[in-house]
Amino acid sequence: MNFKHKYMFLLPGLLVLLAILIFPIGFTVRLSLSSWDSFYPGLDFIGLENYIRLFTDDSRFWEAFGRLSLLSLTTVFLQYIIGFSLALLVWKEIRFQRLFRVLFLIPMMTTPVIMTVVWRTFFNESLGPVNDFFNLFGMQPLWLSSEILSKFTVVLVEVWQWTPFMFLLLLAGLLSLPKEPYLAASIDGAGPVRTFVYVTFPLMAPISIGAIIIRLIEASKIMDTVYVLTSGGPGTSTETSSFYIFIKGLREFQFGYSAALSITYLVVMIISFTVIAKILVKMMVRGE
Amino acid sequence: MAKITLQNIAHSYNPGAAEKIYALNSFDMTWVDGGRYAILGPSGCGKSTMLNIMSGIVTPSEGKLLFDGVDVTNVSTSERNIAQVFQFPVIYGTMTVEQNLAFPLVCRNYDKPVIAAKVQEVAEALSLEKLLKKSASKLTADQKQLISLGRGLVRDDVSAVLMDEPLTVIDPDLKFRLRRQLKEINHKYSSTLIYVTHDQNEAMTFAENIIVMDEGNIVQVGTPAELFERPKTTFVGYFIGAPAMNFIDCEAYENKTVRLGDVMITTDTDMSSVKSKRLKLGIRAEYIKIADKMGTNRIPVSIQRVEDLGSHKLVTAVFNGLNLKVKADRDKLILSEDVYLELPPENCCLYVDDTLI
Repeated sequence: MNFKHKYMFLLPGLLVLLAILIFPIGFTVRLSLSSWDSFYPGLDFIGLENYIRLFTDDSRFWEAFGRLSLLSLTTVFLQYIIGFSLALLVWKEIRFQRLFRVLFLIPMMTTPVIMTVVWRTFFNESLGPVNDFFNLFGMQPLWLSSEILSKFTVVLVEVWQWTPFMFLLLLAGLLSLPKEPYLAASIDGAGPVRTFVYVTFPLMAPISIGAIIIRLIEASKIMDTVYVLTSGGPGTSTETSSFYIFIKGLREFQFGYSAALSITYLVVMIISFTVIAKILVKMMVRGE
Repeated sequence: MAKITLQNIAHSYNPGAAEKIYALNSFDMTWVDGGRYAILGPSGCGKSTMLNIMSGIVTPSEGKLLFDGVDVTNVSTSERNIAQVFQFPVIYGTMTVEQNLAFPLVCRNYDKPVIAAKVQEVAEALSLEKLLKKSASKLTADQKQLISLGRGLVRDDVSAVLMDEPLTVIDPDLKFRLRRQLKEINHKYSSTLIYVTHDQNEAMTFAENIIVMDEGNIVQVGTPAELFERPKTTFVGYFIGAPAMNFIDCEAYENKTVRLGDVMITTDTDMSSVKSKRLKLGIRAEYIKIADKMGTNRIPVSIQRVEDLGSHKLVTAVFNGLNLKVKADRDKLILSEDVYLELPPENCCLYVDDTLI
């Protein structure tokens, strides 16, 4: 076949790729080099000014990054631990196994924004049922307006919402494991703990890494929970990168600057996930 | 090591059903301490079920399993002192070879010096001593399979090492080496080795005794020579040997003589106690001689095909519409006409209802 024909066949796919991926990214890059905002709309060229401002004069963005790292790593870690435990619980034959499997999936099937509103009502400091309970002991924790507790509330809602996804991936992984290693471990005299440490966990490592990375990518985009639950507050104590970019772009209409934030965010994320994936492989797939 | 006795063992995977379907029909069997056995049979014949009953993975629905006279039917796998090697190598990928070999002893809380000595000894026996510090997951398939075996050998209390088609994933040249190693280990440790396979070559070269199974039944137990020379049923005749045994329908004529069409064939078999007239004569391709004239114990045939297989020729001859396989020397000249096959009496086996007389 003629060499050029190959490109003809590739063209439709390449055009789609160009339209949905390359063009938006390219446009964002161009936008980040402009000062487009609500006062001076237009694609002018200001060079790297936005980036210089971001690196020299915007500690709020980097603080939001730090907070995002803390929140996403904590939530995903907890989701992994709880999801794995639940998956192990319903993996073996137990009574009402199917019921439990469906039950554990319910949070994932609900709409995040609506459920966050429900959680906000729960944790409402004067009207919510959670504080009704704590009032019995003479306590009134500030779930949404204390700097530390508000982070805890965001983590709790995120964990509740997305642990089922982790559970689902890990359960599918557990169900696909071969049975021979378990028989061998039993013959070797390994108890449940050793069997988990030396058989289940290593066999599950590739699936675990995949599940953790998927969830980390999702968790790093955390936005709706923060928006509905605390709106980044109190102050900026639950403000994450995506929420900050949202504020700069869609509340303050600094399109050029928020594009620079987005591009920086994207680059940092790509580097972080590459490093995290490598660390996870080193930690979890020892010896492979 | 221990003597293993299976008493009236039978297993059904639907024990509660009105009409039970047996994967393994009731039988008695004793595995002598230190013996080297192969369980041979086609897929689904019940050989893995038998192995799993011995290792405790499957509890038999009927009968008893005794290790040195002690009933272990309901004893768990880990307490049964059995080692098992599976079709695919099972290693602990996060451990080194040394840690893998030590694992069964660590689980049983042996002292460190004892573990180290035992691991060293087994590693030397399996030629793994240079790999001890290497990660087990980095080894080749045959080395991994040796580790699986080694984990069985480190334990002094192992009654038998059970192997379920352990060489399936191994390259042919390594298979030969591993089989030799298994035999050496059997000599060195006097361990009872029970080897499940569907490959007759593997069984014949490995075992002292072969248990041939079919449809949940033990069809024959014997040495490789016995199975080859005197198959107890036509199934064994077909299953053992390449090509399979030739079987020709015949009619009892008088004691030790049968009629094949118009030809009388004398055998060494005493048929005085056999009532039925309809018999089958079985003879191996290796024992049939090709002749150029009619004579005693010879049948006229036409030659259909001659294949040169390198070490010998495989001749397909037709007698009364039936294809017979004959192995001939490479340099033997095979004529296409006036060919006769001589069936030596001592090599003719007679079967009534597919069972050897």
